[in-house]
Amino acid sequence: MPLLDLAQRQHGWLPISALHAVADLLKMPKMRVYEVATFYTMYNREPVGKYFIQICTTTPCIVNGVGCDVILDCIQKELGIHLGETTPDGKFSLLEVECLGACVNAPMVQINDNFYEDLTVEDMTRIINDLKQDKIPKPGPQSGQGHRFSCEPKGGLTCLNTEPRGPGFGIRADL
Amino acid sequence: MAASKAVQGLKHAKPILSVDRNDARRRVLNLYKAWYRQIPVICNEYHINKRPKDLNRYLRQQFDKNRNVKDLRVIDILVIKSLQDLHETKNWWKMANHVLYPLQESVNPKPTGFLSKFLEGHDP
Amino acid sequence: MLRLWPLARNCKATKALASLARCSSTGAPAKVEVFVDDKPVQVEPGTTILQACAEAGVEIPRFCYHERLSIAGNCRMCLVEVEKSPKPIASCAMPVMKGMKIKTDSEMTRKAREGVMEFLLMNHPLDCPICDQGGECDLQDQSMAFGSDRSRFTDMEHGGKRAVEDKNIGPLIKTIMTRCIHCTRCIRFASEVAGVDDLGTTGRGGDMQVGTYVEKMFKSELSGNIIDLCPVGALTAKPSAFTARPWETRRIDSVDVMDALGSNIVVNTRTNEVLRILPRTNDAVNEEWISDATRFAYDGLKRQRLTAPFVRNAAGQLEQTDWETALVKVAQKLVQVPGEKVAGVAGGLVDAEALVALKDYLNKLGSEALCTEEIFPMDGAGTDLRSNYLLNTGIQGVERADLILLVGTNPRFEAPLFNARIRKSWINNELTVAVVGTRVDLTYDYDHLGDSTKILADIAAGKHPFAQTLGKAKNPMVVVGSAALQRKDGAAIHRAVATMAQNARVQSGCGDDWKVLNVLHRVASQVAALDLGYKAGVEYIRNNPPSVLYMLGADEGALTRDQLPKDCFVIYQGHHGDRGAAMADVILPGAAYTEKDATYVNTEGRAQYTKTAVTPPMLAREDWKIIRALSEMTGNALPYDRIQDVRDRLYDVSPNLVQYGAAEDANYFKQAQELAAGISGKLEEKPLTPSLLNLKDFYMTNSIGRASQTMAKCVKAVQEMP
Repeated sequence: MPLLDLAQRQHGWLPISALHAVADLLKMPKMRVYEVATFYTMYNREPVGKYFIQICTTTPCIVNGVGCDVILDCIQKELGIHLGETTPDGKFSLLEVECLGACVNAPMVQINDNFYEDLTVEDMTRIINDLKQDKIPKPGPQSGQGHRFSCEPKGGLTCLNTEPRGPGFGIRADL
Repeated sequence: MAASKAVQGLKHAKPILSVDRNDARRRVLNLYKAWYRQIPVICNEYHINKRPKDLNRYLRQQFDKNRNVKDLRVIDILVIKSLQDLHETKNWWKMANHVLYPLQESVNPKPTGFLSKFLEGHDP
Repeated sequence: MLRLWPLARNCKATKALASLARCSSTGAPAKVEVFVDDKPVQVEPGTTILQACAEAGVEIPRFCYHERLSIAGNCRMCLVEVEKSPKPIASCAMPVMKGMKIKTDSEMTRKAREGVMEFLLMNHPLDCPICDQGGECDLQDQSMAFGSDRSRFTDMEHGGKRAVEDKNIGPLIKTIMTRCIHCTRCIRFASEVAGVDDLGTTGRGGDMQVGTYVEKMFKSELSGNIIDLCPVGALTAKPSAFTARPWETRRIDSVDVMDALGSNIVVNTRTNEVLRILPRTNDAVNEEWISDATRFAYDGLKRQRLTAPFVRNAAGQLEQTDWETALVKVAQKLVQVPGEKVAGVAGGLVDAEALVALKDYLNKLGSEALCTEEIFPMDGAGTDLRSNYLLNTGIQGVERADLILLVGTNPRFEAPLFNARIRKSWINNELTVAVVGTRVDLTYDYDHLGDSTKILADIAAGKHPFAQTLGKAKNPMVVVGSAALQRKDGAAIHRAVATMAQNARVQSGCGDDWKVLNVLHRVASQVAALDLGYKAGVEYIRNNPPSVLYMLGADEGALTRDQLPKDCFVIYQGHHGDRGAAMADVILPGAAYTEKDATYVNTEGRAQYTKTAVTPPMLAREDWKIIRALSEMTGNALPYDRIQDVRDRLYDVSPNLVQYGAAEDANYFKQAQELAAGISGKLEEKPLTPSLLNLKDFYMTNSIGRASQTMAKCVKAVQEMP
C-alpha cells in the first residue's frame, strides 16, 4: 500500500502500468494489486487534476458553520464543474467524500494533502483563485470561525483553563 | 360303477354348438371350404404376390395342425375363432401384413453366431 | 516461505491454533468432546464446527466453504448458534472448543440462515428459468431448504437489483456475474489449486465484483473446475450452455483417456449424445478436479468420426462400404500373406480389451510384431519389469514426498492433475521441487538444475551437488517424463535416472515400500499395452517391414506411408478420421472411450474401466469385437464372444488388468538396475525438452482433441487473448 501511494504521488493518479510495476516490485500476482487498488477509494484509478479537491459532505460538515452545501455550490460555480469531474485544463478535480476527520472545524475540504477548514464562501473563492495562480494558500482553519490555530473551541477553552494541579491533588489526606 | 358315472359326466358336458362328432366335422369342413373359396379373393384384393395354391397348402397345414383335437368344445371354439378371422379378412378389417404375418415370410431369422450378429449390428 | 499470497496469514493462524490446542491438552492431542444438537461427538482439536457437525451427521448449509480450498468465511450461510455465544457463529471458520454446545436447528440458527439467504437473494437475479445451473444450484436448493418463504424485497422504486457486467475469461467459461454471490471459491481455486492468480475481487461493498479486473483469459489447464465449484450460475460451461437440464441427463461413470492419469469422470448424456463431462471424486487419482481437455474435448467425439467401413478402390480413393465387404477384403489379404509379415501398432487411446484381442489374433497368425506408438526404451530390463515403466510412488504418494526431481517433463500439461498434486504438496508439505529440462512455468517455484543430460549423469554418479540433497531427503521422488525416454538415448537416460533413484533410495533409508523411480506417461493405453507385452516403439516394424500393417487407433504418425514397403496393406481401426485413417487401405470404424465398456490402466498401474454411455455412431463397433469378427473371417476365431470372456483372458495374461480401482505396484528396482548395467547407450548432448511447453500445446494432444472445435477455440484464444 505505501508503494501504491508512492506511485500515486509520482503520477498524480494510478495508471494500470503503475499497478503492474508495483506487482513486479513485490513479486506478487497482479490481481492481488488490483484488489487492493480497487478496494481503497483514495487510490485514484482515473486521472485527476493538479489540485484534487475532496469535499466532505458528512453530517457535521452539513450542519456546522455555513454548511458544506454552500461551499460545494461555490466550488462548482467557481470551477464550472460538477462532482466527480475535472476542469478542461486538467487543473482541478472535485470529489465528494465521506468524513475526513476534521469535524470540529467543519465545513472543510481537502486539496491534495492539505486540509482547509472553517470555510466560508469567501475563503473558498480565495483558495480557488490562489490555486488558479498556482499559489498554495495556507492550510488549516480559515477565517470562517475567527482564525483559530487548530481545533481548539471557538469560544476559548472551557476546561483545562487553569494551572495544572500538582502531584497529590485530590488524594485523601491520610495517604 | 365309478367308471360309468364318469362316462355319464362326459356325456352331460354342455355343448357349445356341436352335439356330436358328425356335427363338429360338418362345421370344420364348412369352415375349410369357406377359407378355400376365399383364398383367391384374398390374394386378389390384398395384392398378395403369391399363388393361391401355396396359400391352400398353408391352409391345409393350419387345419392339419389341429387334427389331433378331439374335444368337441375345443373344436367349436377353434372354428368360431377362425370364422371371426375369416369375417375380418373378408370385410377388409385387416391389412396385407396382418394377413401375411402368420405366414412368417417377412420376418428374418435372428442372427445367432458372433460373426452374423456382428454383421447384422446386433450386440453379440 | 511465502508460497501463497492470501494464504500466508491463514496458514500461520491455523498453525498457531493447532499448537495452542496441543498445549492446552498437555502432551498428546486428545480428542475434544463437543455436543451437536445435544449429541456428543469426539473430534480432533482444531477441526471446525462445520466439520464436527458433519461428523455428527448434520450438514450445515454453506456456499463459500469447500473441503479442498482454504477457508474464507464470507458467505455467512453456515451460521450456527453456540451456547453462551451472544451471536451466531460462522461454523466453517470456528475451531471447536471443549464442551461446545452447537445448535444447528435452533430458532436463532434458522433465523440467521433465513436472514443471510434473504440478503443473498436480494441481489441475485430471478433468472433461474434461463440459468444453466438450474437444478444443480446450491442457492436454489438451500433457499428451498433453509430460506424464508417470503421476501421483504419489494423494489418499490423499481431501482432494480444489483447488476454486474459479464466478463470474458475465455472460450470455456461463461460468466453471468450478476448471479455471483461472492463466495470466492473460484478465486481460491485459481490461486491455490490452479496456481494462476488471475481471479480476484475488485471494488468494495455493493460494488464488489469477482473477475480479472483487466479483460483477460483465465489461462489455466484446470480452469473448468471453477464451473463445478461455483455454487450458483455465475460460472457455467460455455460449450454446453443451454443444452440440457441436469435432471434430464443420464450420468454414466467412466474414465478419462486424454492423459495417462485416468481421471474419474461422469459422462452426462441425453438422446445418445454426450452433453458434458464432469469429474468424479477419487482421492487416489484426480481428487475432484479434471483438466480442461478432459472436460471439454467431448465435442470432438461428434466430429470427424468414422461411421462406416472404407475400402480403397482401384482408383486409390477410399470408398464407403459395409462391414462384410471390408472384413472380407481384409481377411483375403491376411490369408494371402505369411503370418510373420503381419504387424500391429497400437495408438494412445486404445483399451486393454482391444489390445489383448489384437495381440492374441496376430499371435495366432504367427506374428510377434506388436508395437505401441509411444516409445519406451527396451534395452536392459526394458518393459519386462513393471517397476521400470510405472509411476511407482503413485499419484497420492506425492503428498508424502519431500523432494521431487522432474526430468524432461512438464507435468502441468502432460498430466495436469499430477501437477496439481505436486502444487498441493508444495504448498502444504514444504515440498522441494527440482527440474532437469527446459525451464517451464509449473505454477510453483523449483530449482532449475539445467537442461543438459550431463547433469543427469553427474547426479547419478554423485558428482552433482544435488545428489547430496537427493540423498538427504526422506521421501524423494524422481519423475521422468516419457518424452525424455523417447529420444535416441532414452535407454541411457532411463539408466541414469534409475541409478540416481536407487542411490537415493538406499541413502535416504526410506524403506522398501517407498519407491523413488517414477515414469510419467502421456497416453492412456501405454501401461496396459506394456503389461500385455507389446513392444514399445515402432522400431521393430521399421526393421522388419510388414506386408500387412494393422493400425489400432495409431494416429500420432509414428509410422508414415513412406517408411513402409510400397505394397504394404494398411488396415486402420479407430474412431477418428485422423492421420492413421488417411494412410489406410481399409478403415474399420471403432468406438471411442465413451461408447464402450473398456479397461484402461493409468500411469501408476491402476486399472479402471469405462462404461458405455452412448452407442457408437452408425456402423462403428466396439474395438475388440471388430478384431474378433475379423478373426472368424480368416478362420482362426478368437475364443471369446462376450466382454466377460475377454476380461477373463486379460486376467490370464495379467491379473492386475481386471483388478479395477487398485494400483498393482511393482518392486524390482534392484533387479532392473542389474539388468540395466548392460546398457551401452551414451547420453547425447541435446537438451532435455518436454513435448508440451505452452498452454496452447495442451489442448490438442490426441485425435479427439484435434477434432474438437472447443479445443481449437482454446488454442486460438490462448494465442490471441491477453
